[in-house]
Amino acid sequence: MSGILMLGAILLPILGSIPIFLFKWQNRKAMRIYVELLVCAASLLVGYLLLRGPSAPFTVVTFTGNLTVEFKIDGLSTVFAGMIAVLWPFATLYSFEYMRNEPRERSFFLFYTMTYGVTLGIAMSGNLLTMYFFYELLTLVTVPLVMQTLTREAILASRKYLYYSLGGAAFAFIGLVFIIVYGSSIDFVYGGVLDLVKVGSRTNILLLIYVFAFCGFGVKAALCPFNSWLPQAGVAPTPVTALLHAVAVVKSGAFAIMRLTYYSYGTEFLKGTWAQDVVMTLTIITIVYGCSRAVKETHLKRRLAYSTISNLSYILFGVSLMTPAGLMGGLTHMLFHAFIKICSFFCVGAVMHETGRNYVHEIDGFGRKMPKVFACFTVSALALMGVPGMAGFISKWYLAGAAISTGEPLACAGVAALLISALLTAIYMLTIVVRAYFPPREFDYAAIEQVRDAKPLMWLPLLFFVIVILLFGVASRPITGFLGEVAAGRY
Amino acid sequence: MIFTAILIPVLAGLILLLGPEWKNRKQLCGFTDAALLLSFLAVCVALGTTKENEAVTLFNLTTGLPIFFKIDGVSRFFAVLTGILWVPAGIYAFGYMEHEWKEKRYYGFYLLSYAVLTGLDFSGNLITFYLFYESMSLLTLPLVLHNGSKEAIMAGLKYLFFSLAGAYMVLFGLFLLNRFGNTLTFTAGGVLDAALLEGREGLLLAGAFLMILGFGVKAGMFPLHAWLPAAHPVAPAPASGVLSGMIAKCGVLGVIRTVFYLFGADFLRGTWVQQVWLVLSLTTVLLGSMMAYREKGLKKRLAYSTVSQVSYILFGLATLQWEGFTGAFLHTAAHALMKCGLFLVAGAIIFKTGKTKVEELSGIGRQMPVTMICYTLLSLSLIGIPPFGGFVSKWFLGRGGVNSGLPVFDILGPAVLLVSALLTAGYLLPISIRGFLGGEESVVRPEKKEPSFLMLAPIVLFTVLVTVLGICPDKVIGYITEIAKVLIKEGMTG
Amino acid sequence: MEIIRNFPAAAILLCLFAGIVSSGLKPKAAKWLNHALIVVEMALNLCTLYYTAVTGEAFVYVMGKFPAPWGNEIRAGVLEALLALFVCGVMLLSLLGGEKELEEKVEENKLFLYYVLADHLLCSLLALIYTNDLFTAYVFVEINTISACGLIMIRQTGRTIEAAVRYMIMSLLGSGLLLMGLCMLYDLTGHLLMSNIQESVARLHASGMYGVPLTVTIGLMTVGLAIKSALFPFHTWVPDAYGYSTASSAAILSSLVSKGYIFLLIKIIYRVIGFEVFHDTKIVNVLFLFGLAGMIFGSLSAIKENNIRRMIAFSSVAQIGYIYMGIGMGTQAGMVAAIFHIFSHAAAKALLFVACMGITGASGGSVKFQDLTGAAYRNKLAGAAFTAGSLSMVGLPLFSGFISKLLFAQAAVQNQGKMLPALVVLAVSTILNAVYFMKTVIRIYTPEQSPYEGITWKNQKLLTVSCVLLTVLNLHLGCLSQSWENLIMKGLGMFA
Repeated sequence: MSGILMLGAILLPILGSIPIFLFKWQNRKAMRIYVELLVCAASLLVGYLLLRGPSAPFTVVTFTGNLTVEFKIDGLSTVFAGMIAVLWPFATLYSFEYMRNEPRERSFFLFYTMTYGVTLGIAMSGNLLTMYFFYELLTLVTVPLVMQTLTREAILASRKYLYYSLGGAAFAFIGLVFIIVYGSSIDFVYGGVLDLVKVGSRTNILLLIYVFAFCGFGVKAALCPFNSWLPQAGVAPTPVTALLHAVAVVKSGAFAIMRLTYYSYGTEFLKGTWAQDVVMTLTIITIVYGCSRAVKETHLKRRLAYSTISNLSYILFGVSLMTPAGLMGGLTHMLFHAFIKICSFFCVGAVMHETGRNYVHEIDGFGRKMPKVFACFTVSALALMGVPGMAGFISKWYLAGAAISTGEPLACAGVAALLISALLTAIYMLTIVVRAYFPPREFDYAAIEQVRDAKPLMWLPLLFFVIVILLFGVASRPITGFLGEVAAGRY
Repeated sequence: MIFTAILIPVLAGLILLLGPEWKNRKQLCGFTDAALLLSFLAVCVALGTTKENEAVTLFNLTTGLPIFFKIDGVSRFFAVLTGILWVPAGIYAFGYMEHEWKEKRYYGFYLLSYAVLTGLDFSGNLITFYLFYESMSLLTLPLVLHNGSKEAIMAGLKYLFFSLAGAYMVLFGLFLLNRFGNTLTFTAGGVLDAALLEGREGLLLAGAFLMILGFGVKAGMFPLHAWLPAAHPVAPAPASGVLSGMIAKCGVLGVIRTVFYLFGADFLRGTWVQQVWLVLSLTTVLLGSMMAYREKGLKKRLAYSTVSQVSYILFGLATLQWEGFTGAFLHTAAHALMKCGLFLVAGAIIFKTGKTKVEELSGIGRQMPVTMICYTLLSLSLIGIPPFGGFVSKWFLGRGGVNSGLPVFDILGPAVLLVSALLTAGYLLPISIRGFLGGEESVVRPEKKEPSFLMLAPIVLFTVLVTVLGICPDKVIGYITEIAKVLIKEGMTG
Repeated sequence: MEIIRNFPAAAILLCLFAGIVSSGLKPKAAKWLNHALIVVEMALNLCTLYYTAVTGEAFVYVMGKFPAPWGNEIRAGVLEALLALFVCGVMLLSLLGGEKELEEKVEENKLFLYYVLADHLLCSLLALIYTNDLFTAYVFVEINTISACGLIMIRQTGRTIEAAVRYMIMSLLGSGLLLMGLCMLYDLTGHLLMSNIQESVARLHASGMYGVPLTVTIGLMTVGLAIKSALFPFHTWVPDAYGYSTASSAAILSSLVSKGYIFLLIKIIYRVIGFEVFHDTKIVNVLFLFGLAGMIFGSLSAIKENNIRRMIAFSSVAQIGYIYMGIGMGTQAGMVAAIFHIFSHAAAKALLFVACMGITGASGGSVKFQDLTGAAYRNKLAGAAFTAGSLSMVGLPLFSGFISKLLFAQAAVQNQGKMLPALVVLAVSTILNAVYFMKTVIRIYTPEQSPYEGITWKNQKLLTVSCVLLTVLNLHLGCLSQSWENLIMKGLGMFA
């Protein structure tokens, strides 16, 4: 029963989105209602499934031998699927308003909704092959979204995105093959499936392949040096940048790495090896690199994109600690960062949508003209910096705690990187806030007389995100407790 | 009660910030004034009613991370000092801000900052402290960049980012302490767990050093002092006053909490951390004084002076010895009053004459006699001449240095303090001298430009307080010694 | 059931006769005859496949009842029958797909010739697949070359003639080397029948006599066939030959003809020289290296290409590289992967060429990239088909290319020495594939005001049928690969 429901939840948005494209939809409103209902229905279905708790694996297709397409819900799926199921309906609401005046609305919603299903597929994959399959699919369904505006820039960006993603998948694929060959199965089992008898003395080669696969999946998670697609993909409409390039797509990469590390290779095998050092070093470099680029960048969305790069590596850093606490830190940051970043992106998107301004130096004095939007932006900025009382602090707290508990020098260096990055985060986020609220004395408000605050469809989702950020910040115990259980493999 | 003390200024501040413009300036000032006094009253009530070391938990951030308040001796000392500074400076602002813009915003953030400082003083554990510390950086930013010039905004950002950099250094130590300590609650004598600590002393010392350095940013300690001379002078004078007087002391409070309540003085005594800390504070003392000596702008000169003077306090703490400790506390109080007063004087001069450069001030004493007399007295105190507060504190600081039993520093420390005192005299007194004696002889009856009562009263009040502190410091010294007894076991003979 | 033993020989002869008959027919009649012929061939091969699969062993058919060593033998196992069936199917689909273009581009009076050549090509391909006799193999290699040449040249523009000449030269060079190899082998062993030679070679190898000549022989034959199947760096004839001929020709040449030679090589390795002997000569390593180089350089050339047809042609070079890499792995698993890729690539490449024709057809016949912008909107079906083919090439799951990749990678993992280079090159080559195929897909899906008219499926029914069936074939190979793998394993087992 739950197997069918799982398949249903995945297929509902994928197949349900087809009518968006098939019909002409003279009445745009009807289409919007249809899309929203579709997304909400899928979310409710997912919610129901998740509340039922972990499910048995459900095999859909068998390719050859033990290569199957299989779905199941375990702790990790619950976190990821739950996260996107909450975010998607709100993001969709926002995009109705955002896309109102954009061309090619239908194709946008077609792929936007499809992506939902595919991401759910990644979340609920029961084995590595299924995940790989949806992972590739995710690339394909999101390319049209990057291309949406069809400018030369957008096309270049989508090409780059495609090359990077497929290329990354090619390396991840090698990891998949090794699990097929050296694993006892390809299912996700907490603690890993490597068959040490089969592995024998080939430890080093397996570690090398792990690094390959980590980097391969890391491409989507914008790991340095494979990150340059992400800022460029910012040409997409903001709902895409916000939901996909700050949450769904990039976190799929991080999610895949969690699966790979904790559920396929297993931390027993990886912990304390040179492979761990390599990947951890990469994440640390990315953390600092992303932030410093964000500070230099003056285009708002690209700045946030660089910030995403850095924050994703927070997650990966947690994962690379190879302890349950590290995974928990990673999961927490994955969840909290999703809300924070989508909030800040939506704010920036609202500015772009209302005024067409894209650069940091163009938003002087906006704090007064768009009070709702900038209040939300300020909250997200503070949360991203990790001010206590906001969501971002909690996740950093767990990440750093996990890192220090390992007692490894490299992990401590990682904590230092987190803090440096926090400072840089403060710099690139707060300069925006300060500009918006405290324009220079000679600033003339008449110049932005016509600027209006965002419409309800835009700020209501923002309000929701802000509430969540604050709630997570001050009362995170239930959620962190749950994540702790998940990370320890007890759920 | 503690919540109320924090909540009152928060609410009042929010009303001001989010509410509509006030038509009547008097009402605005009256409201702010009432809110300030009420808040201070609430703080006093809280101090009176709350038992020593009674923990009041607000909520839990996450497992093992409670936000809670606790009142101990140090809290009392700082809470009272904050109130004594904040209320008069607020009243002064009613006069001063008349020629500034966006008063409402200023008062709003001023009240919010007060709330945050109160929270900071009452914080019962490091995480609460950190929460308020970071909020303080954020909420005092609007005070710094208030006048909205390019220069002010840049200085404000510089202030913010230096502060945050410091905060993140603290956070590193926080992470370490969370791992290697029993608790994050401030406990006299430290929280380190010897069993967990085994073999990790190096890391912990590094953490402690980073925390001292991090809090040192707010206190303007070399090498992260560069923001202070930029940020303090650009703010409106009353804001400069409290920034130098109180906000910088929050760094000191942080250091006190770190050293004596988390790591424990014994853990740091004789380590490289103490040595480096001493070197840094002494460097800052000297460097600040010299820079102040060279500086031409009055407010900027005072700001450099702050750099130097706050490091006196840090030096006192760094001796890890009870006399130094007492001196540090005394100097915290004395310097807060003196420097705030001096900045208010500078503000009054700017307000009345528009002059900002030192060389323009010839003959000012004849125009503003009361103000300049206060200035002179405060200067004398700052130099360390009896019978003012500054003398008592420096006396203890010097004794702390001499009796610290540290090689080299027991001579070097007091020597540096003395040299710096000379320099202090060199950069403060010429203003008085020229103010009263210089200027064009032809002006026989200069036009009186004394500021209004609202502005003058706080200046006089601070001067009086400093004098009182200098004449009968016994109560305060006794109070501090009680605290020191618990914290520093070694050398407590007197 | 015994009658089925005659079917392979019948299939070959039928083609031959059909070709001869066609030369006297009108184009339309020749066309129908050709299609009917292929359908019949498919039926025959299907029967053979069924028969061999059921009996579980290969059978030998002796032509004219002359026993060895004088006679002429045909041998049919599962793999042969499967490949033959597949060849017929893909050929039919390629011809159907390109039929409209043929009628437009080839002169009326030469059209019948096209089908004659196609018949003969099929004949030679079947013969190459079924033969158990090296000399027969050589003869049909030549027939194959000539008919392929004709297929290239049938559309008479300057470029095709040049391409055909180039093809001819390279091909003949290959045949020459093969012939030399054959002669030397005959000298060494005194046999022409595969099974006899194998025994002798095994004896020679065991005794250690004639070690160098044997190696040289094997080398000559391998290189000869490698040239003919366009292994890098002997691929220079490919882009022109595939790029300027008609779509059907290109599809057939790249999907089938080169695969015929590769299959012959595999057969020689297993049935003539013996897998162990071949492995000991270290030629596998050479093939492996050239395979890897081909994978990279083929793709790099494709990326630089500005002509969609030539791009696909270069992609073939890369894919042939995959196959040789599989062979060069020197393991059973590698061989299975290589053979599976023969199927998979044939299906995908035929689809690409046919779909490409649809796309260029909707862009005024231009093959230049800048004219193709938005072509997928003008010809939706071809666009979708091209995308499917591309995805298969890039190796997306559900498509045949993914299974090939998976098999190659699994084979590589089991081979200690060659694992890392193989895996890395596999990954890099995937990226390169993605670069040029996805670039094209994005271009054709970039909407643009275009002077060219759209084409709906009603105007191109045959193309539609062909595209749909080929796509289904790709998906089938991708989703239900288990049965194919089993058949291949079974067939390889019968080789021994």
